[in-house]
Amino acid sequence: MDLSFGGFQVAVLIGFLVISGCLVAIFSAVAVKSRRNVDFAEVTDTGYRLRRFWLAFLGVLLGTGLVLSIAFMPYGEGAGPTTRVKVSGYQFNWTVSPDSVPAGTLVDFDVTSSDVNHGLGLYDPGGVLIGNVQAMPEYHNQLSLRLDEPGTYTFSCLEYCGLDHHRMIRQFEVTP
Amino acid sequence: MSALGTAGAAPAATIHPDAAAIDPPVGAHQRRIGLLFGATGLTLFLLMALLGLAMRLTQSDAIGISDEWFYRLMTLHASGMLAGVLLAMMGGLWYVVRAIVPRLDAGRAMAAYAAIVVGVVLVLVAVVFGGFAAGWTFLYPLPFESAGMWPTWSTVLFLIGMGLVGVGFTIYCIDTLKSVTETWGGLSGALGLAWLRGRVDAPPPPQAIAATAVSLQGIIAGAVGMTILVALLDHTIDDTITLDPLWAKNLTYFFGHTIANLIIYLAAGMIYVLVPLYAGRQWKTSKPLVIGWLGTIAFVLTAYGHHLYMDFVQPGAFQVVGLVASSAAALPVAVVTIYTAMMLVWGSRYRWTLTSILIFLGFAGWAIGGAGAVIDSAIPVNFHFHNTLWVPAHFHNYLMMGVGLWVMALVSYLLERASGRTASRLVTIAAPSLMVVGGYGLVYAWYFSGALGVPRRWAGHPDGTEVWSLVGSLFAVVFLIGFLTMVVEFVRMGREAWAGRGEAPAREPLPAGASVEAPAAPGGGFRPMVGTYWGLVVAVAMGVAALFVFYPPVNEASEVSVKFHHLAHAVQFFAGAMLGAAAGSAPAALRRFPGRVNGGLAVALIAPVAMLLVMIPLIYQDLTGNDFLHAAYHLVMVLLGFVTGLAAALLGRVAGWAVLLTSVAMALMFAPGVTGG
Repeated sequence: MDLSFGGFQVAVLIGFLVISGCLVAIFSAVAVKSRRNVDFAEVTDTGYRLRRFWLAFLGVLLGTGLVLSIAFMPYGEGAGPTTRVKVSGYQFNWTVSPDSVPAGTLVDFDVTSSDVNHGLGLYDPGGVLIGNVQAMPEYHNQLSLRLDEPGTYTFSCLEYCGLDHHRMIRQFEVTP
Repeated sequence: MSALGTAGAAPAATIHPDAAAIDPPVGAHQRRIGLLFGATGLTLFLLMALLGLAMRLTQSDAIGISDEWFYRLMTLHASGMLAGVLLAMMGGLWYVVRAIVPRLDAGRAMAAYAAIVVGVVLVLVAVVFGGFAAGWTFLYPLPFESAGMWPTWSTVLFLIGMGLVGVGFTIYCIDTLKSVTETWGGLSGALGLAWLRGRVDAPPPPQAIAATAVSLQGIIAGAVGMTILVALLDHTIDDTITLDPLWAKNLTYFFGHTIANLIIYLAAGMIYVLVPLYAGRQWKTSKPLVIGWLGTIAFVLTAYGHHLYMDFVQPGAFQVVGLVASSAAALPVAVVTIYTAMMLVWGSRYRWTLTSILIFLGFAGWAIGGAGAVIDSAIPVNFHFHNTLWVPAHFHNYLMMGVGLWVMALVSYLLERASGRTASRLVTIAAPSLMVVGGYGLVYAWYFSGALGVPRRWAGHPDGTEVWSLVGSLFAVVFLIGFLTMVVEFVRMGREAWAGRGEAPAREPLPAGASVEAPAAPGGGFRPMVGTYWGLVVAVAMGVAALFVFYPPVNEASEVSVKFHHLAHAVQFFAGAMLGAAAGSAPAALRRFPGRVNGGLAVALIAPVAMLLVMIPLIYQDLTGNDFLHAAYHLVMVLLGFVTGLAAALLGRVAGWAVLLTSVAMALMFAPGVTGG
């Protein structure tokens, strides 16, 4: 299985690197200023004023994240006709039926397990992780994904399930 | 008297010159217990870190550990590391709270310590000799579906071991909740709410609020953990019992996530005391701090839901609650705790020693790792990052580079005080530098690998990605060099402290006119669980009303399914619990058993577990043909509830109700998840 960075993942990574860079800068600034002798009343005076802005900034940032999260939750069913693909995990492989669909199909994956918990990780032909859903015994998780790109997709197990967990890989064809 | 037991040796060289007035008084028990917990935690940290390195090297193909051993080590690494860091931070918080709450009991702290250490040993035996490798998450039904990897006895041993870890933490939390709330006149007083509402003039110190909040959550998490662990043990006794996998997953992650999360908040309580010693400024309770802790209680108890984002059958409301709580939990941390710490440090002529450097770096680890966690808690992000290496990246970021550094800081601080000196200049600079370079190199290799989609918990990594593991391994070695450099210095300081025992300087003289600030504790002492006659009447009435479950039509209706039958057991237990609480709170009973806290604690822990253990169809199904035996079995449920109520009453109002309500909740939680028979 050859993996590669997806555009979304790179964007998240860059966002995180920017945030962590800002945090390092803030902590470094505090460390440098720690050697000075500043009256604590002066520090709290400015600090408490700034804290309101900090709270507002974080509130907006986290609030925006929440709104976007709820707007783009992957739980809904896709619009339009779907092709149901039944996927069942077992120690240590997948049964998939049917095992190919035409490109552009909106696939409704019906995912379950016949023994323990597994996790279905879907990698596109370029090796980018495009989605995730748990495979649990006694339950059926429904995941809708439109598979536009033809080629060989890979199903890997992303929930630890025992000795050959990392070998629980199966291929799925999307035909042109 | 050993130096480690010398009260209040605080040479000016180790702390800020202005900190003498806020330096807490230290007793012999306090320091020894702090050091015992801290040193044990640090030892486990080292051992589990070495296992982690072995796993990382295996993933890089540098060494060839078999798949079977990889997953065994993975199970041990996570269980042992969490237990070790938990133990250390329990000791850290206990150390700082004992200074203001003398009724905190050393014997119960040691009982908690013993339970956790024995629990870790059982986990070790289960993994090393039994081959248990279902992961620390022990997600049902994997512990029983080993594909030939481990026998049932190792599963049982592992579950008992994890249960003992939970029991140890629960003992600690019950004693802490009881002691702190009795010192500040109840739950409202200890959380600062009474002060916030203007009912008392002075608030409790921040460490008391942290201890109250953490112990309350810890009791809840412990009860949830015991419910799932006993349900799994029931399955080993009677394999006709089946658990609902989604129910089991919810309970397992509630237990695991909450306790892992609480480690950080235990540490926060400790840090409230340690930062001021190096900044020379007191960390005072403020309104945002009180409100922040209230938010933390709500958010920590509901954030576990993000572990189940990819379980699409989980009710949508749970997913949204998990999402909101996971984001909102960042606010008290970022706006109150870390922000206030930075204000204390800013312009303070901060006393930079090995301890205070580790404390400061720990804040950075918490903040950066927290950012990585919040990003992953967004559901659309999690859809692409769930169970990739992004997950170990962010939790190692705040556990290893946050709390891990604070574990080291605790031991360093205690050794500074005992030896009367700080670490050498070379170690003070070299050890943290190496750990920062190595630690962040390790976790950033994981962040990049996570973005690449490399799965976590894989013994062998996909072709072409091994280089990330190799890079991470090399940085881990750098971290360990720094860590071991520091440990060598710790050994030196410990030897000096031992050699100079009895010669340790007395407490540093206070500046003229200054005094150690005594905590404002309005007191209150022991209060009965049910303190009024009307309360007794209500408790008895509720107990009697619950006995209505024995009314034949209701009893027959409960036989329609195992779930309803177990629900009836829960009601029977509740009936007994309320009657027991009333009986135990009666003045005559309290006069008869004054201060029997240890006995009450033991019975209150054992009886609810016994109640779940006997809820096995194998035991009760043969009794259903005999009316007398059937009724006797149900009366046992009432009796177990009654002794739980009696025992809880000995723990006083807040701890007693916390224990009693969580015990009843255990019975109620059990009912919908366990069927079969």
